[in-house]
Amino acid sequence: MKNSSKFILFIVAALLVIGSNSFYILTEGQQAIVTQFGKPIGKGTTEAGLHFKLPFIHKVRYVDKRILSWDGSPNQIPTRDKKYIRVDTTARWKIVDALRFIQTVQNERGAKARIDTILDGHTRDVISSHNLVEAVRNSNQILDNLEAKKELVEEKKQKGEVADAAVIEVEEEVSGEIEKIRLGREQLSELIVEKADEELKALGIDLIDLQLRRISYEKSVEEKVYDRMISERQRVAQKIRSIGKGEKAEIEGRLSKDLNKIESEAYKKAQLIRGKAQAKATAIYAKALTKAPKFYEFMRSLEAYKKSIKKDSKLILSSESEFMKYFQ
Amino acid sequence: MNQGQPDLNYELYKLKQSFNKNKKAFIPLIIALLLAVGFFTSYYTVEPDEEAVVIRLGRYLETTQPGLHFKIPFGVDRVIKVKTKIVHQEEFGFRTQSLDTRRTTYSSRNLDEESLMLTGDLNVAEVQWVVQYQISNPFKFLFKTSEPVRNIRDVSESIMRRVVGDIMVTEVLTTGRVGIAGDAKQLMQEVLDKYNMGVLIRSIKLQDVNPPKKVQASFNDVNAAKQEQEKMINQAEQAYNKVIPEAKGKAKKLVSEAQGYAQAVVNRAEGDADRFSEIYREYIKAPEITQKRLYLETMEELFSRMEDVVIIDSKVKGLLPVFGKGITSEK
Repeated sequence: MKNSSKFILFIVAALLVIGSNSFYILTEGQQAIVTQFGKPIGKGTTEAGLHFKLPFIHKVRYVDKRILSWDGSPNQIPTRDKKYIRVDTTARWKIVDALRFIQTVQNERGAKARIDTILDGHTRDVISSHNLVEAVRNSNQILDNLEAKKELVEEKKQKGEVADAAVIEVEEEVSGEIEKIRLGREQLSELIVEKADEELKALGIDLIDLQLRRISYEKSVEEKVYDRMISERQRVAQKIRSIGKGEKAEIEGRLSKDLNKIESEAYKKAQLIRGKAQAKATAIYAKALTKAPKFYEFMRSLEAYKKSIKKDSKLILSSESEFMKYFQ
Repeated sequence: MNQGQPDLNYELYKLKQSFNKNKKAFIPLIIALLLAVGFFTSYYTVEPDEEAVVIRLGRYLETTQPGLHFKIPFGVDRVIKVKTKIVHQEEFGFRTQSLDTRRTTYSSRNLDEESLMLTGDLNVAEVQWVVQYQISNPFKFLFKTSEPVRNIRDVSESIMRRVVGDIMVTEVLTTGRVGIAGDAKQLMQEVLDKYNMGVLIRSIKLQDVNPPKKVQASFNDVNAAKQEQEKMINQAEQAYNKVIPEAKGKAKKLVSEAQGYAQAVVNRAEGDADRFSEIYREYIKAPEITQKRLYLETMEELFSRMEDVVIIDSKVKGLLPVFGKGITSEK
């Protein structure tokens, strides 16, 4: 009795151990490789859930199935146009060939070291063989905008809003030319991914993307850029001020011009009116007087005497005068 | 038991002894314990702001909504609760320091690296922004990527730089704000969708957008210059408006005066002409005598006005040598 119960107990324990060793649970987000005395069996398991295996003979190694993040350490890289920048990249990758992954890099730590060297190298290559703008801008949209602005300025000028136009014009001025880009930021990232892809495939890794997370000037360059920005703003401010002064002078000029015009035109008009009236009066007189010029002469002379001789004038009259005819 | 160095064999022996002694009592106790554990781990509640992902034997089973739910205990079903109803927020270039005080305080210390970015004209701008997102698919959020929040941060930084990198610094600081936020949101969603990580970007909001501190003063000066320019133009316009309307009025006055003069001259001429014609009409009837009459009347009026009239007989000579020889008579 005692012996048999011990035996049953032993059988149950053995079955439990064997049973628990004949399956494994693969959680979501994981994949597994089954090995038989170190030799991999099959292509690996990617389906989550309960899976069976030969107890003790098969061993299971798990790796991640999710998209993993890689964070590169910031690099100082000179661009092709000799600008020193710090480039900080991140990437997303996943293990697509678990077997090869385990064989080549063993685990995620091993993978990170390999990705570091591969991506840093290619990032350096790509950035240093392109101008800075290629890594900053993604399109030539800025140039299109400048074109549109120019048209707006023209339009404003035609409408006569010269001051507005000038301000827009001066605001958009930049020191140096806005370079046209050939590739742009996204394509540079893609170029890096493309170059690194082959090498990473060999490690069982698929590189999903690489993001140029941060691009900034080197500290020493930064100062110079700030100085340039300051001088650029100062230039713009100065120009705006001088546009203001010019505009003011223009208005003052217009004032003097308009004033002269108004005054002289009024004078001209007044003189013309007067002249015409005088001409008309002359004509009226002439018309009436030509009927009897002698009589007019006589009448007008009398009138002139009346008007021209003042009250306190003295007159010495000859007795021979007409008036004194009867006096003698 | 009291020994300083416990003897393992002895301990095992003692355990076995007690187990054998209480065999009958132990088995029900274990069963009861198992039942209790089974009961208390066979249900779970999901809070109103959550959804729960159920994993059965490692495999995704379902996503459950708020309420009371049952599950298979003993580690067969695993339940992971995810706050899907809450809008999560990630801050860039600054951190909310405290919400407890009456006024929320922010800090942007040592976050220059996050906020400083290059603009399209190779200048530098400092941009602070907020990304608000919701977990739209909790299963994907948990199992598609290893570090979803970090992905959101990395992608957001990269996309923001891409958008800002495509416009000029002046535009970033002024009119570009709305456009930047909209573009960044759309591009970011596109990238996150590529990762298939179950996140929905609710909004991207730009906070402070400034030039770097060192150059801020010069940017302000440009604004001041614009104000000055406007002021100058206004002043000049003011002077213009003060002078020109007055001059116009004066000009009108001048013309009116001329018109008045013209009217007067013509009227006078007409009057004179009419008067002359009238007189002449009568005069022509008896010219001799009328002429005489007019002459005498005029002289009468003239001489009567004068204080002093000297009459000199033409036969008297040398009376007044001052007047010379012949004194002309007036006619």
